[in-house]
Amino acid sequence: MIKIGILSFAHMHVWSYATCLKKLGAQITGVYDDDKMRGKKGAGQFEAKYFADYKKLLSTDIQAVVVGSENSRHKELTVAAARAGKHVLCEKPMATSIEDAREMIRACEENNVKLQIAFPCRYSPAARCVKQMLADNKLGKILAIKGTNHGRMPGGWFVEKGKSGGGAVIDHTVHVTDLMRWMLGKEVKRVYAEIDTRFHKLKIDDCAMITMDFDGGIFATLDPSWSRPNKSYPFWGDVTMKFIGTNGTLDLDLFNQKTTLYNEEQLKAAWTYWGDNIDFGLVKSFLDSITDNTPSPVSGYDGLKALEVAVAAYRSAKIKKPVEVPFK
Amino acid sequence: MLKVGMIGAGCIGSLHSANWQAVKGVKLATIADINSDKARTLAGKLGLRWTDDVNSVFRDKSIDIVDICLPTVFHKEYVLKAAKNKKHVFCEKPIARNMADARAMVDACKKADIKFMVGHVVRFFREFIKIKEQIESGAVGKVGVVRTSRCVGFPRFSPESTAWYSDFEKSGGVVLDLLAHDFDWLRWCFGEVERVYGRGLAHKALKEHIDYALVTLRFKSGVIAHAEGSWAEPGGLKTAVEVAGDKGLIDFKSDGAKPIHVSIKQIGSESAAVETPAAALTSHFTLELQEFADSIIENRLPTPSPEDSMKSLQVALAALESVKTGKVVRLR
Repeated sequence: MIKIGILSFAHMHVWSYATCLKKLGAQITGVYDDDKMRGKKGAGQFEAKYFADYKKLLSTDIQAVVVGSENSRHKELTVAAARAGKHVLCEKPMATSIEDAREMIRACEENNVKLQIAFPCRYSPAARCVKQMLADNKLGKILAIKGTNHGRMPGGWFVEKGKSGGGAVIDHTVHVTDLMRWMLGKEVKRVYAEIDTRFHKLKIDDCAMITMDFDGGIFATLDPSWSRPNKSYPFWGDVTMKFIGTNGTLDLDLFNQKTTLYNEEQLKAAWTYWGDNIDFGLVKSFLDSITDNTPSPVSGYDGLKALEVAVAAYRSAKIKKPVEVPFK
Repeated sequence: MLKVGMIGAGCIGSLHSANWQAVKGVKLATIADINSDKARTLAGKLGLRWTDDVNSVFRDKSIDIVDICLPTVFHKEYVLKAAKNKKHVFCEKPIARNMADARAMVDACKKADIKFMVGHVVRFFREFIKIKEQIESGAVGKVGVVRTSRCVGFPRFSPESTAWYSDFEKSGGVVLDLLAHDFDWLRWCFGEVERVYGRGLAHKALKEHIDYALVTLRFKSGVIAHAEGSWAEPGGLKTAVEVAGDKGLIDFKSDGAKPIHVSIKQIGSESAAVETPAAALTSHFTLELQEFADSIIENRLPTPSPEDSMKSLQVALAALESVKTGKVVRLR
């Protein structure tokens, strides 16, 4: 049985990862959280010990950690875990700067621990099916992709730049960028973005339109905006991709398996997702890579390449020109 | 009663001819096409006069309005003929293939004191009118991000039309021929465009009968718009619009808004021939042509005005320039 420590429940996805870990037979033995209330709640729910000091948790006999803190602390916690010889599953975006991401990769390599970035969309059966269809050349040669990762404005630390590193762009660029890289097997070489704050009274970006050029001439756009109305929209958002090939087109809507509920008390329609829990596959692959000692299926490098696009988008919007990646 | 002479009996010509007959205050008198078979067939269906001498329409004193339903590169020549012969002129979109031609057309019509309107028919689609009204009523608050989509298979109305649509210098591909509609509607809703960034396949795939483009527009008002245009989609036309604002969101998909969906059993097979007939009391083409007729009868500027059509072309050409150079194009 693999023993796991949770390094912060700041990101809401970590509750789901912890639940999946438990279902898969891993044991969550310790929880660190700088928010004591939240940490104790998590520790109670998963029958673990609460630690106010993560160094103490890292000195226990856990084999791996889940880093679920605010984005700006991913580096500190990942590097500390690596030095303590613990494998790391880190929430996305991997970090708030390229330098931090590189340092995390280096620390995990030097200490010979696994670093996996939480891109659960890769574990969507629909996304896997599409990747296979592309590999089988169903659409012919791929020419272009149109993507969206819309969401509601999450609030909390997500809109504090010091903690999140950015708004909608850093939050919602990395998932679909990772899917594009993974499905195409190609890298982004140029990024252009229009970025603004147009939906909420925030000091951080809440909308954007990103254009990417891939190796080999494929172009793609991605709308990462927090443009779903927080109170009235029936769902949290979406992850969609449309592929244009020489033989046809394909529309992928990752969370389209849903029912619509009209309820007199809710006073709005609500969509309920009933498709597979993609976090389950993500967490299972992390545990398997530890048990079988195989390379991380979603590596720190994957996390870095997706982050690079978000960082390039911010630079592009600032100078109002396309930006070349990777950075020198 | 104003008399209309139509030039061009191709796809848009046959659509217009049926719709002119429903327009009040005008009468479709003649159909001209250099291809006499096409002119004869279309005119015959409607019981009208026809000719393969297109210039005779301009000489005909009884004709008040000329409707130019020709490929884009011929628009200038025929609109100038209309101006010279003092005939009001309706012209299919886009107004022209380049700005110089568009300007010459607008100036000539102004000088000749004739009415001139370009067929930006999306302004007459009820869904697009309704969305604009909702935006103006404040239903979504301040608009942040707008997404439009216009997808269809490659135009194959006839071998001739396939030939000119697949010639970039003639058609301009999806950006000019298809997205011109959305650019015009977006300008109508959100005003002038500041800069454009686009990607498209026109330069590498149009010859092989595929084009696809994704264009980002930044408006002076700050609105961010994303327009998708596709000639890569097998099947009928599909459009979509999403307008997200700080108080709400409007979502429209033509696929989900069909009042009739028919599935006919094929003999010896369980796969169905699917039809989704349009069901509207008045066609958007009739509304569009009625607007032009009314502008003549009431002696006022039509909507869209010639300047509007020119500015919408400017946006499309900026998008094409961005597609070609890979750079951001700022509008002057």
